[in-house]
Amino acid sequence: MDVRVPQLAEGVTSGTVVSLLVKEGESVKKEQTLLELETNKAVATIPSPGEGTIAKILVSEGDEVAVGSVLMSLSADGAAPVEASQPAAAVPSPSAPASIPAPAAAVQQSPVQTTTVQAPVTYQYQSLAGSPPPASPSIRKMAFQLGIDLMRVKGSENGGRIVLEDVKNYIQFLQAKAFSETGSSAASGTKPAKTVDFSKWGEVSRKKMSRLRRTISEQMSDCWRTIPHVTQFDDASLDALMKLRKKYVEDYKKAGASLTVTTFVLKAVVDTLKKHPIFNASIDEATDEVVYKEYYNLGIAVDTDQGLIVPVIRNVDRKNLFELSLELADLAARTRDRKVSMDDLQGASFTISNQGGIGGTHFTPIVNKPEVAILGLGKGGIKPVVKDGKITTGLTMPVALSYDHRLIDGGSAARFMTDFCLALQNFTDADLKLTGSKQSSQKKASPNKSKKRGKK
Amino acid sequence: MINIETEVVVVGAGPGGYAAAFYAADHGKKVILIERDERLGGVCLNRGCIPSKALLHAAKLISEAKESSFRGIEFAEPKINLDKMREWKNSIITKLSQGIASLGQRRNVEVIYGRGYFEGNDTIRVETSEGQKFIKYQKAIIAVGSKPALPAAFDLGNPRIMTSTEALEIEEIPQKLLVVGGGYIGMELGTVYASMGSEVTMVEAMDSILMGADPDLIRPVKDYAAKAFKEVRTKAKVLSMATQKKQISVKMEHEGKATEELYDRVLVSVGRVPNSDDMGLENTKVQLDAKKFIQVNDRCQTSDPNICAIGDIAGGVLLAHKAAKEARIAVENIVGEASTSKDVIIPAVVFTDPEVAWCGLTETEAKQKGIEVKSVKFPWSASGRALTFDRTDGLTKLVIEPETDRILGVGIVGHGAGELISEGVLAVEMGATAKDLAESVHPHPTLSETLMESAELFYGYATHAVMRRRPSETSVAAS
Repeated sequence: MDVRVPQLAEGVTSGTVVSLLVKEGESVKKEQTLLELETNKAVATIPSPGEGTIAKILVSEGDEVAVGSVLMSLSADGAAPVEASQPAAAVPSPSAPASIPAPAAAVQQSPVQTTTVQAPVTYQYQSLAGSPPPASPSIRKMAFQLGIDLMRVKGSENGGRIVLEDVKNYIQFLQAKAFSETGSSAASGTKPAKTVDFSKWGEVSRKKMSRLRRTISEQMSDCWRTIPHVTQFDDASLDALMKLRKKYVEDYKKAGASLTVTTFVLKAVVDTLKKHPIFNASIDEATDEVVYKEYYNLGIAVDTDQGLIVPVIRNVDRKNLFELSLELADLAARTRDRKVSMDDLQGASFTISNQGGIGGTHFTPIVNKPEVAILGLGKGGIKPVVKDGKITTGLTMPVALSYDHRLIDGGSAARFMTDFCLALQNFTDADLKLTGSKQSSQKKASPNKSKKRGKK
Repeated sequence: MINIETEVVVVGAGPGGYAAAFYAADHGKKVILIERDERLGGVCLNRGCIPSKALLHAAKLISEAKESSFRGIEFAEPKINLDKMREWKNSIITKLSQGIASLGQRRNVEVIYGRGYFEGNDTIRVETSEGQKFIKYQKAIIAVGSKPALPAAFDLGNPRIMTSTEALEIEEIPQKLLVVGGGYIGMELGTVYASMGSEVTMVEAMDSILMGADPDLIRPVKDYAAKAFKEVRTKAKVLSMATQKKQISVKMEHEGKATEELYDRVLVSVGRVPNSDDMGLENTKVQLDAKKFIQVNDRCQTSDPNICAIGDIAGGVLLAHKAAKEARIAVENIVGEASTSKDVIIPAVVFTDPEVAWCGLTETEAKQKGIEVKSVKFPWSASGRALTFDRTDGLTKLVIEPETDRILGVGIVGHGAGELISEGVLAVEMGATAKDLAESVHPHPTLSETLMESAELFYGYATHAVMRRRPSETSVAAS
């Protein structure tokens, strides 16, 4: 039985083997973790599909492996060790932009065309029997001579059989891709990367960029290049909020939750998003449509040792402050340990980046595509404020809202910001009170929930 | 001393070697073919596939005549003239061998008869009847094949202890013949001698004869052996042999008991060993494995950049058609066309009575590797064609990938299975699905219909068989 790289998450086509937890000849149980795979989003564990002995390991730590490729082979106990059919396929790099269209349909099509050509970049043939992709000997020979890996070619015939037309389409696609890449870099004026010899001016050391860093780099460049950013600044008063917090923070602590400013911000953001749904929307660039979301999933930027990761709290509108504070703490901890699942990292409709715990005032966060806005929080503190014509002091927090000016106008942003600052001041006892029954049910519910997630 | 230069030298003129020499010549190369025997064709043609099939044909004639009385046809006891039979068999070999020689001539392939010895990785010396010849080559293809194994304990220098080579010469029809080894060679030759009147005892060390084939495919062969042979002893071991006058005394162990019996002749068919000795391979970079087969990659290349190896000498399955395919692969890589043996389907055929043939994935292999497959079996009792010649002891089986209906393997037992399997090879090589096979019209009445009908059976609608309730069981009842 071959152990393959599973479909990890949408858009994740490969990963790097970070640690091998088993050795050849070792017997393993079903679901036992065989190895850890670092993808551009998180560390995923690969469980054993069954009980048996590790017959052969085809990868080593540091290898980059594509979805669908064989990692190791497992033989049922008692059976002779089995040669795995195909070693893990190398990943073509760099990863192709997702916007490349699939190859145009062949010139001549059969009268009944039932299959569409899938974008070959993500396609990987999978056979549970471990057999090679179905193709006639002549096609296989041609592919071998051209150096085309048929595992990546989607067959259009009965049973997924690859015919000449499919190979032609694939080659045309590769060519189109090659040209569009040079074309786009020329258009955007990007110069080819050049190595600078920094050691001319002193001692240096070099370290490979981690996958996570590379992903952040690509994502940030893409967002910065394609989104016209504007950032709106304000200072939010926290006096009322902190008073309430003080009143309830001990209760929350007793109940096992820590009541932080971010928790309040989550709730205030949802209230404001409900009033200004355009900030919870996305642009569908393919259809020129605005997609309004009926859900409120908020991404929280978390600073980890390796770099920025943005896990998502789902359906914030349906959760109370207690539930949110528990979930926030759990998610942040799992993110720092790189234990979040792929699911935890997807589907945000708006993002919050809080630097308050570190320091600084206003900053200009970059909108995380396909979202259209992001809220940046600075460090709060006692500042002079004018109240009723007199200068006094107040606890304020610098807030900054970056938005996609393609979709959102300045007026909307100013209104959003005003409403958001008001929402922070309008919390009441009712929002914070822990009712006995609720609290205990929460207590029970939460660990269960996290257990469930841990299993995934 | 004669010095010759050539582009390609092929050592060994068996089905791998002469195919390689001809193919290289067809690609415009200057080719020299070296053969140590006086005739071209190798073991296959002279001492293997061809003579054994000729004798099996004769054997079949005898047994069919014998079994025809219920059809209302009766023959007298056959009179066997061994000299004439040998002559007939040899005439076939001669015809084929001459054919190969003339095919080589027409391609300007120079044949040098003599033993080849590598002086280095660009020179081979040949000991010919006219003296030594030194050939300087650019590329060499080693196709020197294998020979029957004869364990030292059995090698008494007594001609009554035979390997397949001697058995095919049918010097006599022994009254009592012991066949040591129940592989395909032992089974085929045991069948020949049994048909001609020998009392055959077969000894096999493993649990079953024809190990490696799916058990349901060899069941009819076992039934035949139980009837035609005096005895088949599995899990039995021959301990020693000794000459005792005109007989061989054999000590063996079977079911915990030691016995000592007398046989008129013994056929030792316990496998084959490579001919890699005494050919100067140590003067090249060619590497051998533990069993002395030459190590090659999927392009038939050895560790010596100038030398390829194909066929039996390169290990794997020891079959002529595998050698012929490797001849193509080796030559294509020599002339600069990339070519690989990866994912090539090599069918196996055992010419027993009935024949057994299979290709691609077998059920046994699927089970060993934990691969989930579906298999459908069409019994020949439901084949009209099989009934017409009273051989319903057959079975056609498809091994199918459940998610795609793709045919991963085909297994057939029955009369002419060796001819039928080629359609299975085509199906597996083409990545055909069971639907493809079911949708292709097969002529009636032929045995090939069993392939179509087993594919139909997979979908539950074969005309001549009825699927039982649960398709997973894939059992059929003959109509």
